[in-house]
Amino acid sequence: MRIVRYNHPSSRSLAPMRSPWSGLETEMDRLFEASLGEFSGALNVSRFPVDLYEDKDNTYVRAELPGIDRSDLNVELVDGYLNIRATRKTREDGREEAFALSRSVSVPDAEVQTDKISATYENGILTVTLPKREEAKPRKVSVSVS
Amino acid sequence: MSLLTHLVPAFAHSKTSAGRETGPSVTPAYGLTEIEDGYELIVHLPGVSRDGLELTAEDGAITVTGRRAWKQPEDWTAIYREANDTPYELVLNHDNIVDLDKVEAVLRDGVLRVTLPKAEAVKPRKISIN
Repeated sequence: MRIVRYNHPSSRSLAPMRSPWSGLETEMDRLFEASLGEFSGALNVSRFPVDLYEDKDNTYVRAELPGIDRSDLNVELVDGYLNIRATRKTREDGREEAFALSRSVSVPDAEVQTDKISATYENGILTVTLPKREEAKPRKVSVSVS
Repeated sequence: MSLLTHLVPAFAHSKTSAGRETGPSVTPAYGLTEIEDGYELIVHLPGVSRDGLELTAEDGAITVTGRRAWKQPEDWTAIYREANDTPYELVLNHDNIVDLDKVEAVLRDGVLRVTLPKAEAVKPRKISIN
């Protein structure tokens, strides 16, 4: 009987690149993608991509939400989360179908002037502008040297 | 709806446009349904304005390309990104079942809706019997 020393799997050995199956795994992924990939291109996927940007005065949340009436867009700030809810209405064979989409984005509540949040919707992209509080803005203090 | 797209035999989605080099692109979400006298193609193109949209209908293929109108202002810093900046490209091959002269397209709020009427040749024809 051979005794083989037990090697605790380190993160390195678990890394997909080190796996002896990595070639097979990639091939399997490719096969799955080839057959199922088309489904990812379907309309009405409940998760929509969100981007976060900032400049010195504002934080911006941009969400890709094509084909939604402005009246079906709902943006709320609750307990540090910016909730975006939307309903996409499509007409098919004369009957209306509604599809609900929602997403919450964590926003540093303490840094936002909650009463001055604004939003625009253009070309299917919702942009929410969250103005920063004075205290949260980067401050520049010049110190005179005597 | 996606399943349905696959059931429409005459349209086959081709990932690469033959003989065209346009650089990196992403396939937009789309759906194709058969309507009376034709097909309706719906493509989600968030961020594309009318100026950045190109729809080419030719023999055997319908191509939709869309460039995003918005560019990140210089003083904006990205904190977290999920969306893509690459242009959209969708190529749908067909067996000349579409009347290319009567193709209509509307772009509204990032959704492109294209009506593709069936060509006269593929429409069912009633034959009168003497």
